[in-house]
Amino acid sequence: MKTVEILVIGGGPAGLCAALSASALGAKVLIAERDEMPGGQLVKQTHKFFGSEKQHAGERGIHIGQMLLENAQAEPNIELWTSSCVLSIYEDGVVTIEHAGQHVKVKPERIIIATGAAEKFLGFPGNDLPGIYGAGAVQTLMNVDGVKPAQRVLMVGAGNIGLIVSYQLKQAGVEVEAVIEGSSKIGGYLVHASKIQRAGIPVLIKHTILEAYGDGQVEGAVIAQIDECWQPIAGTERKIACDTICLAVGLSPLTELAWQAGCEVAFIRELSGHVPIVNECLESTVPGIYCAGDVSGIEEASAAMVEGRLAGLCAAVSLSYGGAAAQTLIDDAKQELDELRAGSMGIHIREGLEKMALKSGQPKSEDDTLKSKSFAEIKSTLISDGIATADDIAAILPTPERFAKGPIAIAECFQEIPCNPCVKACKAGAITMPGDINDVPVVNGALCNGCGLCISLCPGLAIVVVDQTYSEDMAIVRLPYEYVPLPVVGTLATGLDREGNALGQFEVKKVTSGGKKNMTYTISLVVPKALAMDVRGVSVV
Amino acid sequence: MRIEAHPVLNFERGEKITFFYNDKEVEAYPTETIAAALHAAGVRKLGESPELHRPRGLFCAIGNCSSCFMIVDGEPNMRVCVMKVRPGIRVEEQKGKGVIRT
Amino acid sequence: MTSKDNEIMICRCEDVTKADILQCIADGYHTLDEIKRVTRAGMGPCQGRTCRQLIAAELAKHYGVSMEDVLMTTFRPPVKPISLGALADAYETRKDWSLE
Repeated sequence: MKTVEILVIGGGPAGLCAALSASALGAKVLIAERDEMPGGQLVKQTHKFFGSEKQHAGERGIHIGQMLLENAQAEPNIELWTSSCVLSIYEDGVVTIEHAGQHVKVKPERIIIATGAAEKFLGFPGNDLPGIYGAGAVQTLMNVDGVKPAQRVLMVGAGNIGLIVSYQLKQAGVEVEAVIEGSSKIGGYLVHASKIQRAGIPVLIKHTILEAYGDGQVEGAVIAQIDECWQPIAGTERKIACDTICLAVGLSPLTELAWQAGCEVAFIRELSGHVPIVNECLESTVPGIYCAGDVSGIEEASAAMVEGRLAGLCAAVSLSYGGAAAQTLIDDAKQELDELRAGSMGIHIREGLEKMALKSGQPKSEDDTLKSKSFAEIKSTLISDGIATADDIAAILPTPERFAKGPIAIAECFQEIPCNPCVKACKAGAITMPGDINDVPVVNGALCNGCGLCISLCPGLAIVVVDQTYSEDMAIVRLPYEYVPLPVVGTLATGLDREGNALGQFEVKKVTSGGKKNMTYTISLVVPKALAMDVRGVSVV
Repeated sequence: MRIEAHPVLNFERGEKITFFYNDKEVEAYPTETIAAALHAAGVRKLGESPELHRPRGLFCAIGNCSSCFMIVDGEPNMRVCVMKVRPGIRVEEQKGKGVIRT
Repeated sequence: MTSKDNEIMICRCEDVTKADILQCIADGYHTLDEIKRVTRAGMGPCQGRTCRQLIAAELAKHYGVSMEDVLMTTFRPPVKPISLGALADAYETRKDWSLE
């Protein structure tokens, strides 16, 4: 039997970070990853991550995954097994793994379960027809395998996965007919919703799928509006012709191994299902078994990375590695998690963790500042469709005097989400957040010189630069762009409004690359002054 | 169909290979899973469900759900969504739970 | 139950529909474990990853309890199918691993 100090189960964002932090303190770590390629779901995340610099915000998930993997491969204390699926954890602490086609036993001193999650399934007639896929499955097909997964898609669910995958489908040249959402609010980040609305993909709240139809595979779906009790409203049914239906209706933590190991598991709705009860160090009720990432509650990958780091540190410290300095690292990780969860979108996670703390018998010391913090409630219809209203815009509109002075950045970022690359991007110090990274950015017109660096660095693609001084009647709008083909300088491109409607053909003045890794282009369009606050997208198709 | 131009990704697929799907030759790239290669060739039905014989395709594409079971080189219950395609392999639709080879 | 419940797949692995689940509940089965044993829902190769929560939701709805109060099934090794060959090999080649 093979012995090891720390066995990390799963080589995704949480697992890799756990292995890296534990090995950095000197612990010997074995990672067992079931796939051929470590990185978990980072390998298909082509969008830029939110959060702060500490969680690599502003970098694309695929690049973060590559970096973590390279670091793990370069670390002599880490042994990385791929195509190695952990099958079981037994009461005596023995773990069995299917490794290189063999059934092997490993006896670790500590285990970190970082198995992630699985996509939820949904019950409706025809729900097993070929062509009904998890949204993540479609993301794998297109972003890992490079296969065009569909021609026309109906997306079910407007959480971050539904919104992000819709955008990525559009980037791969696939038409998304609509994103439907049962709730009356968009569950994901509004900047993601705004991005797809600009691309002409409607987001329909209070809608559900009634059935899928097709002979042998999906040919379409029937959707309908639903009432307050989530019942379909008669007469609102309509058919949507599509060859693929993507389900983005949430994730379920993959907890089988935690159950097998005897960890106490509880259903906590806010954490998306059954989760192992863990303490502040992410140790489960079975001493020596830690859980990190989606397995102990569904969150963003940035939180999973910090959880992994925290679990790795705690597991290594419990094996007497690290000394006094380790405590500082542990405190830092805890503080980062608090920060990521402190915003308006972190409310349910905080509620879920409070329930968990009660169950673990370690009620968290109430953070009064957080408890009493009020969040700027989004009162406009922006919350239900992702389209900023005239009032939303008016609130951030620079004064006519400021416009007269030259180009200025306009951050159409209205929701308190954990994200601050724009603050870091601004060399002039013009973009600030009054409080923590969850605040909305404020552009100081006196300091902003309209350089536009922030445009391609905003992970939400929510910043534009408007120059009302370009000529007598024309203004320049500089916009982020992540599609193919690229607009060509000197030719005309279609300017789109916030709902994806064409506003006219405008001259492309400049096309600037964001750089090799950033990959977001900035397109300068010459538009009539009156449209400068309306043109928010570019299309050359 | 495959994605040729993409704003963020550059697919390095390597040399084209072929394999067999229900005895028909299908083109693929070694970087692809069997499920992805079939999908690119327009094959979305991978088998039939065990009792009701309903057509089945993949669902999760990361080895969680077992919806994509096919017979590969005579061996049933292969998760083709996480299995890379190899030259000359013979992939067949699986109808039911598979039988032990004798 | 509606006429279309037999077209709603709950357990993909074992072909168990919503109609089957509702019939079980109507027959008086009231735990996931019972339904699993009667229908095989959750006993297929994915071991309930896809269907478990859907069945639990039906039980919660029928009995008017929260999901928290729906008893889960027992989780047994292994989490994914493994060939008998691999298990047999482990026995043959166990000398490769330092035995304590």
